[in-house]
Amino acid sequence: MTASDEFGHLDTPLEASNSPALTFEVFARCSKTKARASKMHLPHYKAHTPMFMPVGTMGSIKGITTKQLEALDCHVILGNTYHLGSRPGPELLEKAGGLHKFMTWDRGLLTDSGGFQMVSLLKLANITEEGVEFENPHDGQKMMLTPEMSIGLQNAIGADIMMQLDDVVSSLTTGPRVEEAMWRSVRWLDRSIKAHKRPTEQNLFPIVQGGLDVDLRTKSALELVKRDSPGYAIGGLSGGEAKGSFWRMVSLSTDILPTNKPRYCMGVGYAEDLVVCSALGVDMYDCVFPTRTARFGNALVRTGSLSLKQGRYSADFKPIDKDCDCPTCANYTRAYLHTTATKETTGCHLITVHNIAFQMRLMRDIRQAIVEDRYPAFIREFMRIRFGKTVPMWIVGALQSVNVDLTVPDSSGYSAEPVADDFQKTPNAEPEL
Amino acid sequence: MALRFELANIATSSTVVPRRGKLVLDRSATGGDSSAERPATVLETPTFFKYTRHGLQPHLVPEVAAELDALPMATRVQAEDFLESDTPDCVKFGDGLHKFIALDPADILLLDTLDPTITVRVAKSTNTYMSIDSEGGTRRLTPGLFAQLTNSLRPDIIIPPADIVEEPLPSLTQGKRISKSVARSAKWLEECMAALTHPAAVFAPVVGSHSLELRTMSAKALAARHDIAGYVFNDVCLTVPLEHKLRLVNHSLRILDASKPRYMLGASAPDAVLLAVLSGIDLFDSSYPYAVTEQGLASTYVLDQDNSANVLPHCLDMWQETMFADFGPLVDGCTCFTCRSHHRSYIHHLLKTKEMLATVLLQIHNTHWYQRFFADIRRSMERGSLAADAALFMQKYDCETQLSGGIGELNRLANRPFSELSTLSAQTCSPTTKIQRKRHAEPQVVTL
Repeated sequence: MTASDEFGHLDTPLEASNSPALTFEVFARCSKTKARASKMHLPHYKAHTPMFMPVGTMGSIKGITTKQLEALDCHVILGNTYHLGSRPGPELLEKAGGLHKFMTWDRGLLTDSGGFQMVSLLKLANITEEGVEFENPHDGQKMMLTPEMSIGLQNAIGADIMMQLDDVVSSLTTGPRVEEAMWRSVRWLDRSIKAHKRPTEQNLFPIVQGGLDVDLRTKSALELVKRDSPGYAIGGLSGGEAKGSFWRMVSLSTDILPTNKPRYCMGVGYAEDLVVCSALGVDMYDCVFPTRTARFGNALVRTGSLSLKQGRYSADFKPIDKDCDCPTCANYTRAYLHTTATKETTGCHLITVHNIAFQMRLMRDIRQAIVEDRYPAFIREFMRIRFGKTVPMWIVGALQSVNVDLTVPDSSGYSAEPVADDFQKTPNAEPEL
Repeated sequence: MALRFELANIATSSTVVPRRGKLVLDRSATGGDSSAERPATVLETPTFFKYTRHGLQPHLVPEVAAELDALPMATRVQAEDFLESDTPDCVKFGDGLHKFIALDPADILLLDTLDPTITVRVAKSTNTYMSIDSEGGTRRLTPGLFAQLTNSLRPDIIIPPADIVEEPLPSLTQGKRISKSVARSAKWLEECMAALTHPAAVFAPVVGSHSLELRTMSAKALAARHDIAGYVFNDVCLTVPLEHKLRLVNHSLRILDASKPRYMLGASAPDAVLLAVLSGIDLFDSSYPYAVTEQGLASTYVLDQDNSANVLPHCLDMWQETMFADFGPLVDGCTCFTCRSHHRSYIHHLLKTKEMLATVLLQIHNTHWYQRFFADIRRSMERGSLAADAALFMQKYDCETQLSGGIGELNRLANRPFSELSTLSAQTCSPTTKIQRKRHAEPQVVTL
C-alpha cells in the first residue's frame, strides 16, 4: 500500500500554528478553491490532511487488525466515548495505559464527546444546562453526562484529539431551540476547557453549531475562535438536511475559522462530499458509511458503489476496481465476493479492507492534486466519472462558489447539466475497460 | 500431476496402527497452467487440511492468515459453499479454484461436497443427486455436476458425492436405507470418475454406516480399484460415541489397501484425533479450532509427558469476567500473532461488545495451537510414546474415554468436553455478528 508521500519536496509551510499538543503546517494551497494540503503533528502521529478517519466505535474497526490499518495507511481513527465509557470504562482504560495501549494502535486517535450517541441511541435524553440526563439502558437508572464527565472519560481514553460535549440539535430543527443550543455549546466548551487535565498531551476541539442559520452559525464560529483552540470542528450537519444548506454552512464556517488550524467536518464520508468540502477548506472527516456499507456487501468505486450481492456479479471476474492496489482487489474477483458477502465474516472483511483503501486513496489523490495545484482539474475529472453530466445541483453551486464551474465545458468537452436531486440513486455507468 | 503417499513404517501385520507418512503432490507431471518448475508439496502426516468456509479459513482474510506460519500446505473446500444456483457461475472462472479463492498455488487443494460442521440436513437425496440445503432452496448435486466443477475448478484432490445415511438409530428399516446408500455411493463414484477430464486424485468415501456387512461390501469394492488415491470416512451424522465409530472404521480399514492415506471427517477434536491416529487415520481437518473460536474460547490443551497436574482445563473461557482486567496474553509463552500483540482484557472486551475482531484474534490463536498439537503428535510418534502420551492427555483433560461401551457409558460419553459438533450446535449465530449459522448438529443423547 502506498504510504503518504505527497509532500516529499516541500519543507517550508505557507502558514502554521503551534498549540501545546498540535502543530499544523499548511504546505500547499489551491490557487482557485479554498483547498489546502497540510501536515498535522499529533502526540502519536504526523497525519496528512485533508484526511479521512475510519470509525472504530468500540476500540476496533470491525474485524480489521491494527496491523492491517497501518498497511492501509490510516493515520487517525475514531473511538466512541459513550461506548468505551460504559465498556470497558475509564478505570480499566487508565489501568491499561489508555486506548492506544489497550487496542495496540500507535498512530492517531480521536474521540467524540459521547453526546451524539446519547441523543441518537437513548430513548430518554433530557438536556439541561448541567448536561445530558438519560436513562442507563442497562439498569434504567437516571444518569447525567456533563461536559466535565465527558472530558474526564476522554482524558482516560487518552486520544490525541478530543471533542467538546455540545448541545447537539438535529439540523432539521428550527426555532429558538437552535439558538439556545448554540450558546449552551459555547458555555459547555468553556467548562470543558477548564476540566481538561492533559492539555499538553491531548487536543480539545470545539464544535461550531447554529444549525442552518447564517447568523447563528457566524456567531458560534466567532465565539469559538476567541478560545484559540488547536483545531475546530463543524458540527450539527450531515443529519438529513438539504445539501444546498449543508455546503453553505460548511463554507461559512471555514471562512471564519482560522486558516492556520485544522477544520474538521463531522459525519462526512461520501466521496463527492469529501471532494467538495475539501474545496471549501475542510481538513478532516469521519464517517461510518464506508465500513458500514461494506458489511452489507457494497464496495466503493469512483462511479459510486457496487452492490456485490446482485446477481449481475455472479460471473463478473474483474476485481472491484482495477485501479485499486488493496489486497482484496489484488486477490479476488467480484464473482468471488458475490458468493461470500454478508454470508461469511471474511466476506465482510474483504470489502471493508477495500472500502478503507478506497477512502485512503481518494484522500491521497486529493492531497496530491492540491500539492501540484491541479485540484480544479481533479474535481472535474472526479465528477465526470462519478456523475457524468447529471451532477447534483448542490455540488455545482458549491464548486461555483470557489471558482470551479462545472457547467462550462473544459478542454475535454465535459460539462455538467445540473439535476435537482441531492443524491444520485443509481450508480453511474462503469467506464469501458 | 501425481499424488503419492509414502509410509514411514511399511511392514506391519495390522492395518489399524498409527503411522507416520508423507503425502506428496508433484504438479510438474502435467502441463496446462501448472508451472513445470514448481517444487513438490510435501505434507508430513498425521496432519490436517485447513478447514475453510467459502474458500477462506474462518474469519481470516489472506494477509491475516499469513500471520500463521507453519500451517500444513493443504486446504479443503466444500462445493456446497459455491452452489448459489443449480448451475453455479464459478464454473465459468477459467483460472482454477486456487486462483478463485487466492490460495497459494503450492497448497494441496481438496474439493469435498459438504461442510463437515453441518450434520443436520433437511433435504433428502435421491438415486440421481445429493440434496443440499441452501438459502435459495434445495440444490441438486449430481455426480455429473460435481465432475463438471472438478474439471473447471481443477482441484488437486476430490471427494465425490456419496449418500450419507442420517438416521442414527438401528432399526428394522435401517438395513434398507444403508444398502441403498452403499449402492448409490458406488454408482455416483463410478459416474463421477467417468466424467472427469481433469486428473484430480480421488479420495473415495467408505460407506456402510453401522452395518458391518455393508461396510465390508463397500470396502471390498474400493479395495479392488486401482484408480483411488485415498479413503474418506465421513460418518459425521452417526451419533454413536467415537470409540464405537472407530470400531466401524477399523472394520473397513482391515479390508482396504493400507498403503493409501485415510482422511476422517468429524474427528477434528484433539481427543478424537488421538484415538483416530492410534487407529491408523492419517488426515483430519481444522474444524475444531473454528468451533472453539465460535464459543469465545482460547485453546490451552497440550500433548506432552508432564503428569504433575491432575485435571487441567483444555481452554480459556474469554467471556468470563475474570478476564476483564487481565493484561496477560491468552497463553503465556504462545508465539502466535494474537498472543504477541494483544492481551486477554482486550479480547474479552471485543467479545462483550460483539466486535468481529474477537473471532479473528481467537481463530489465529486456536489454529496456531492446533498446528502445534499435530507437531507434538508427530514428535510423540517418533519417540514411540503415542499411546502413553494419549492416555495421559485423556486423563489430564478428563476425556473419560473407555473402549468397552455399554448404555451408561454411551450416555456419559455424549457430553465429552472436546466435542466440536455439540460445541457448535449451541449457537444459532456467530458470537460477534448477526450472520445466522444454520443447520448445526443437535447433540443427541443416545438411548438404546
